[in-house]
Amino acid sequence: MVNKRGGSSVIRLAVPLKVLLQRFVFLFLVLAAFGIMLLSKAETIVVEKVSTVVVDVFAPIMDVLSRPAAAINDSVKTVRELAALREENIRLKSENQRLLIWQEAARRLDSQNLALKSLLDFKTGPKSQSIATRVIADSGGAFVRSVVVNAGERDGVRKGQAAVSGAGLAGRVATAGYRSARVLLITDINSRVPVLIESSRDRAILAGDNSRQPRLIFLPANASVKAGDRVVTSGHGGVFPPGLQVGQIVSSPDGVFRIKPFVSFRQLEFLRLIDYATAPPVIPMRSPLVPPKQAASR
Amino acid sequence: MTPTLSHRLDAVARNLVPAALGVLFVLLSTIPFYIPGFGAVAPNFVLMAVFFWAVHRVDLFTSVTVFFIGLLLDILVGTPPGINAAVLVLVRTVAASQGKVFRGKSFLVLWWGFGLVAFAAGFVIWALTAIYHFALVNPMPIVFQMTMTVAVFPFLAWIFARTHQKLFQHI
Repeated sequence: MVNKRGGSSVIRLAVPLKVLLQRFVFLFLVLAAFGIMLLSKAETIVVEKVSTVVVDVFAPIMDVLSRPAAAINDSVKTVRELAALREENIRLKSENQRLLIWQEAARRLDSQNLALKSLLDFKTGPKSQSIATRVIADSGGAFVRSVVVNAGERDGVRKGQAAVSGAGLAGRVATAGYRSARVLLITDINSRVPVLIESSRDRAILAGDNSRQPRLIFLPANASVKAGDRVVTSGHGGVFPPGLQVGQIVSSPDGVFRIKPFVSFRQLEFLRLIDYATAPPVIPMRSPLVPPKQAASR
Repeated sequence: MTPTLSHRLDAVARNLVPAALGVLFVLLSTIPFYIPGFGAVAPNFVLMAVFFWAVHRVDLFTSVTVFFIGLLLDILVGTPPGINAAVLVLVRTVAASQGKVFRGKSFLVLWWGFGLVAFAAGFVIWALTAIYHFALVNPMPIVFQMTMTVAVFPFLAWIFARTHQKLFQHI
């Protein structure tokens, strides 16, 4: 760089040079930011890899930082639950009565189903296992609906796995690092989930748009859909297990059918990631870049 | 007078404070608060930090530092990488160039300036997001977020000012 102690003429030259350099740096950084945006839009592997590594590096810190908030949340919940203990008990007792009747029905149907399956020589899909995870980071962005969980490839987490909270489908694993993974929620603008209407069996795609209630798109024109219908995952594409509960249809003033998800996204503290697609036939579809042999050994 | 090594180390440590605060605010932005709807409208702490330090001590907060803080925010929060990096570099440049307008004036002037910058930044974030997704995303979340950010600014600015005074009163 220019030596400032070299005399007044140099100083006179150095100041505009410095300004010029600063402008150049500014321009370069803005262009670099746009370049990264373009690379990420083109789904370049490098951007995804670097992002995954950075999230992985910060995951332990985020894990620690998220604990006080989780603890406060838990104690608030406990106090609230204590206050409503009596009513809750009455409600649960009556619910238990009803569920016992359902259990009876389910047992009967299950044995009947098994018998019919063996008659038809029915092939069941791959068995699924699940991985319990804790949410360590929430997106603070206005235009993104995703969370980071504290489990990664070392725990068996893979890109594409379904993320379920107690009540239903919450999202899918968008990227998996070594010890952390990002889950894209079904409300995010990039989320697309193949679903079907439980009663009519009509297929559709559930598309997020960052609002609390994602839309149903590609619904057949003659589909019989009404508010209150339940929507479940269809399992098409082989990534999600079929039959995961997603939400209920709500009527929308704009003529678009929307879903009220069963999951409460405000209270997402734990997520179960469903490892469904590990059966060999599904792997080549999921990741064409990985040779099947290597994928099977992972 | 040649400063001793400990003096120099001390100065370096002090100079790193704004950048460290920036990274800290990035991490704070990712904490799940479990408050209904909070995630989408949580105030943008990083924007406040960048604006404040660009006005008061722009020399401690270089464009490159701001760029990487923005990129880290993008990656950890999950926004398309580059959006916050670009916006924060822009905010730093604007705030630094207008620094003379704000320094030594009443706090209301600074707050008003921050309001203008925050909503302009919100607009840019919205526009870049819309272009990125090639979809007309609903701008309301960013309007709420920036309103929250501007509302919380005096509190954060007070903390920054105290830090600034404590660390740099002798420099």
